[in-house]
Amino acid sequence: MTTDGENQEQAHDPAAAPAPSDAEAPAAAAAEKAAARPARAAREAEAKEAPRVAPPAGAIHDLLAAAVPGLEMKAYVIPDITGESVAVEVAPERIPDVLTAARDDARLDLKYLRTLTGVDWQEEGLEVVYHLASLGQGHHLTVKTRVSYEAPNVPSVASIYPAADWHERETRDMFGINFEGHPNLVPLLLPEDMTDHFPLRKDNPLQEIEEWQGENLREGAGEGDE
Amino acid sequence: MVLEQHDPALEVIDMPINMGPQHPSTHGVFRMVLVVDGERIVDVVPHIGYMHRGGEKLMETMDYRQGIGYADRTEYLAQFSAELCYCMAVERLMDIEVPERAQYIRVILTELNRLSSHFMFMGAFGIDAGIFGTSFTYAFAQREYLQELFEEVSGDRLMYAYFRVGGLAWEVTDNFVERCHEVLKHTQQGIRDLDELMTRNEIFMARCQNIGAFSAEQAVAYGLSGPMLRASGVPWDLRKDEPYSIYNRLNFEIPVGNYGDVYDRYLVRLAEMKQSVSIVEQALGQLPPEGPIVPEKMPRRLRTPPGEVYARVESPRGEWGVYLVSKGGDKPYRLHMRSPSFCNLSALKAMTIGQFLADAVVILGSIDIVLCDVDR
Repeated sequence: MTTDGENQEQAHDPAAAPAPSDAEAPAAAAAEKAAARPARAAREAEAKEAPRVAPPAGAIHDLLAAAVPGLEMKAYVIPDITGESVAVEVAPERIPDVLTAARDDARLDLKYLRTLTGVDWQEEGLEVVYHLASLGQGHHLTVKTRVSYEAPNVPSVASIYPAADWHERETRDMFGINFEGHPNLVPLLLPEDMTDHFPLRKDNPLQEIEEWQGENLREGAGEGDE
Repeated sequence: MVLEQHDPALEVIDMPINMGPQHPSTHGVFRMVLVVDGERIVDVVPHIGYMHRGGEKLMETMDYRQGIGYADRTEYLAQFSAELCYCMAVERLMDIEVPERAQYIRVILTELNRLSSHFMFMGAFGIDAGIFGTSFTYAFAQREYLQELFEEVSGDRLMYAYFRVGGLAWEVTDNFVERCHEVLKHTQQGIRDLDELMTRNEIFMARCQNIGAFSAEQAVAYGLSGPMLRASGVPWDLRKDEPYSIYNRLNFEIPVGNYGDVYDRYLVRLAEMKQSVSIVEQALGQLPPEGPIVPEKMPRRLRTPPGEVYARVESPRGEWGVYLVSKGGDKPYRLHMRSPSFCNLSALKAMTIGQFLADAVVILGSIDIVLCDVDR
């Protein structure tokens, strides 16, 4: 996990953002921190990724595979407040096929787009997440796709789900993802002229931590409470 | 209509009219540019983001306890729903079982909060639809009783921050159950008053019926939720369809509308208030008189394992969701708030085109937006 401190170092050095190539400075800082807080270093070493468990056969991803011939996807179980749910990862160019099939297939019946958003995975690119639900069948599915920083292009689904219109504009504002074919991809929440600055990307620190704020605001402050 | 002797110098042009951001009927800081042909609206360009505070980015820097306070500040008319949703997301990732008494108190407060939020709607919407101050004063007097109760329990009038991951911050007051019954008496009277004041009011009906109608298919396609969706005839309510907390132990009905117009949205909310009163009464009856309000083995420092979860609750405005992505540690890696106000407002354009200019205010009022929640 990249700490806040590292984020700032990247931001100070314009050459290092968005994909840090020079890993020396953050590594040195991390080593220094690790020496200062051994308990935290041990936790840092823990697995950072959730284990991926394949969903049981006959779950919703199989219906999707049947509805979209020749679809390559990675399906896995994710926690959900109703128990467990299924997430599928597909290539960005298949998104319109997948979502059209999800909406129109009688057994999938995923006509309701709950939300659409982005996640910045840094070295592993940008992710767009679609939460779909079927009001008739009562099931739901999470669809994900990954794109690189260099070519953050995902086909727009605003023509498939009108609900996606504003969500895509918001995701463009925050992550700089270019939704190809969107009818009106102009800033929604940000000022009209703010088209090259993406606040929710990880290379964009919230605010510089100033000297006087000291260690209190850095991650892991107050470890002694335990 | 094209006249036979068409004079190009007299050509009719569409006129843009700016409304907001400072306008009493926009319920906050919201601006829309309406393009009108005579009195008919031909295009609407909504402008939002005046209150965008980067809430999702801020949440990434707050640990899981601090985030609760920010959820309040986002959805400031249904604070308990927002807190509940945020806590549910963290609890699911951490696999925490919330004690029964805490679950009941959460549901009681959330439903009372739904009542106070709907009172706010009734008051403000009455002004939009031409009843002026009368409905507002009646509704706000009722909202005050509820807020006094919330203040007694949480110590705050608006930003409660009373729910905690795992349960509640502290025990409720000793006379909580009696106070709830007392407040419910006022609330029931308030619902009757507003019903008699508004439902059969001729001006109100003329302003609301057949305005801004949305079919069930449209409502689903535009991602509407809550009373907006149910007014269009879709009986979808997360409390029934994806029951969370202890809602599956309570009996209540889901009111739906027939026409999907502004009047139906009002009727659905009014009927929902009666259901909420019944939910609170049942929950008060089932509330365990004592018991823990946080799990016994609760870690002092909240750390989630890596993973993701999309938690959602039925807030007074619809599906309030939290998409939480964790990479481990005590802060979210990414937190997205799915706000029903945002999704419902995105359908404003489709609802307003073809209507009269004066109806734009009523349609906007019927969406019942919280602008802080739209912009986040």
